[in-house]
Amino acid sequence: MKMSRLLRRQRTLLNCAPISHDRLADRSMRAVVARADDSDEFRKQQNFDRAVAEIVHLIPIPPETAEWFSEKDLNVGSKWTWRKMARNPAVLAISIAVVVIAGVSVFQVLSRLNDFPGSATARKLLTVAASTRPVMLDPVSTEAGTLSDLFFMKHGLEHYDVPAEFGDFRTIGCRVFEDEESRRIAQIWLAEKRIQLFLFPAERNPKTGAVLWFPGWRYVHQEGWAGAVTERSGVCFMAALRGSEKDLALYISNTTGQ
Amino acid sequence: MLGDSAKAQEVFQTTLREAALRAAQGELPREPFWLFRDARWRCLETVKEDLQPEALKLDEHDVAPHAASQIEKLEPAQLAVWISGAPDPQRTALALFYLDEFDYQEILDLAELKLNELSRFLAQGRQQLQAWLDAKQPQQGKV
Repeated sequence: MKMSRLLRRQRTLLNCAPISHDRLADRSMRAVVARADDSDEFRKQQNFDRAVAEIVHLIPIPPETAEWFSEKDLNVGSKWTWRKMARNPAVLAISIAVVVIAGVSVFQVLSRLNDFPGSATARKLLTVAASTRPVMLDPVSTEAGTLSDLFFMKHGLEHYDVPAEFGDFRTIGCRVFEDEESRRIAQIWLAEKRIQLFLFPAERNPKTGAVLWFPGWRYVHQEGWAGAVTERSGVCFMAALRGSEKDLALYISNTTGQ
Repeated sequence: MLGDSAKAQEVFQTTLREAALRAAQGELPREPFWLFRDARWRCLETVKEDLQPEALKLDEHDVAPHAASQIEKLEPAQLAVWISGAPDPQRTALALFYLDEFDYQEILDLAELKLNELSRFLAQGRQQLQAWLDAKQPQQGKV
């Protein structure tokens, strides 16, 4: 193909055709070079340009200037390693922040996993248990299971029943009080390992009023105290003692076994 | 651009010193190739202070098939002097083009030229260089 057949614009572009093919910047240049690639005139131009460029690269550079472009220096500047990146203060700060946020998130997720309807009230009552002294309760020496009648007859509290697991233990005292949300709470002190029992209204759905039910026994912990909570007939029961979940589990598994 | 390594060295160092100062003051331009553009203007300023070559109409020959072998016989310094003797902006166009570090759009941006101007300067440059080669090596020109 002859270059004279090219349009004026293409001819203009072809005069600027790059010496190296990797500098074919745009589509129009690529197209015009592809079109003229087999023409003698263009081949002569390319050979001419390549020969000139080779000589240009041999033009001596003053040693003081050449030092600026030594391979060694360039490599040092461009070297990139994971260790180097990890030592960057910005990366370090971001990494620490991410770890802290992740830690807090994991902690919150784990805490939520143990949550159940009424767990917040149960934790508050563990604080009450820690600060209660025997003199604050009315002295009553009987079996814990029999106090349901007392709560119903004297205080009008329905279904405030002590579960069978703790029904046979002797009591030291009991009382009924209202918490800050005016919910009526029954508290019983047992002779057995100074365990305290609490009965309080189960949490309800604020829209429907339905009791938020949960199955079996759940555990809560607060300031060295542990509580085992269950829900029956809209009333939550909690057995609390100073110690760990293990100490409570012993009672629950033993009695459940019976 | 200058055809003189001592002057090139001086311009290079001045350009880098100014760039370092601007970097220290946080005043580095965001535009690409500003350092090359700066170096180019310093080269042109330096050349202005020198004796100016007479404006001559140079001969122009079509690029010959054996041009590559003629060019191979050139000393690099001879070619440098020839390019630096070209009037600007043709000199800038030839220098940047034969450095083979920029594509044509980058050269247009750097030398502040239009496409048809760059095209004309390069085409004329080839033909003038060919005429010079033919004058320097007449026996090969006749082959």
